Amino acid sequence: MERKKQFKWFSIFEHEKEQDYLQRMHRSGWKLTAIRGFGMYHFEKCAPEDVAYRLDYNKDGLAHKEEYLKMFEDCGWEHIQEYVGYSYFRKPVTEEGAEEEIFCDAESRISMMQRVLKARLLPLLIVFIVFLPQFLIHCFSARNYLAAFFTGAVLLTYLAFFAICFVKYQQYKSRQEERE
Amino acid sequence: MNPHIKKVYVPMTETAFFILLCLRKPNHGYGIVQMVEKMTEGAIKLTPGTMYGSLSKMEKDQVIRFLREEEKRKIYQITELGLEVLQLERKRIERLYKIAQEEM
Repeated sequence: MERKKQFKWFSIFEHEKEQDYLQRMHRSGWKLTAIRGFGMYHFEKCAPEDVAYRLDYNKDGLAHKEEYLKMFEDCGWEHIQEYVGYSYFRKPVTEEGAEEEIFCDAESRISMMQRVLKARLLPLLIVFIVFLPQFLIHCFSARNYLAAFFTGAVLLTYLAFFAICFVKYQQYKSRQEERE
Repeated sequence: MNPHIKKVYVPMTETAFFILLCLRKPNHGYGIVQMVEKMTEGAIKLTPGTMYGSLSKMEKDQVIRFLREEEKRKIYQITELGLEVLQLERKRIERLYKIAQEEM
């Protein structure tokens, strides 16, 4: 069996791009077998077919994995694997060309993104709000201005990062609402 | 009724509406998907991601409750609160329908 792997990196807000990428690969005869390590996508040669790939992020679902996967299986979705909290599913696109979806309204697509952001950004936010300012104050009171400068730089980087995430989230949200 | 529940469920999503409607009798998520497909003659196809998220959220909000598990499928039923919410939503939709009939 001919195999190949590709390194790809998608940000939190690009899971739709990732889905399209996997669908394109399958359409050109490369079927996803696994994702490993730091964004290494493994494929094996297959008959070219139009197969929809979809990602869900649901910790509650993974905590009740059997029932969670059963629901997808009942609806005709094949579960491929879990990767950094995401569940990967695929389902052949029907002859009528109806695009298969795992979410049918904007609300559920937005709540999925909220679950991702909560899990990914909340720990960073706690470091940002609780520890970094304390550390900064400590640097100043110890008159260690070099450390204070670096801590300040880290704080600013954080701030920029959160601002970008906020804007991206708003864009994602309005994109989903427009899809309705 | 808790104002939060009213805010979230009136109006509610189509998926939430069908979940409450179908769970007047005990059923599982996929059972609801099938019922809705039949009721709407295939016009509305509920999807598993939306379904799973809605069911867990609605269980937390106590508009439905978990009864038991059968063959890895969770069986739920509507609660008193859920019935109240469904009635409110029904009245809202009836009002809209009436207005549309009069105006169009």
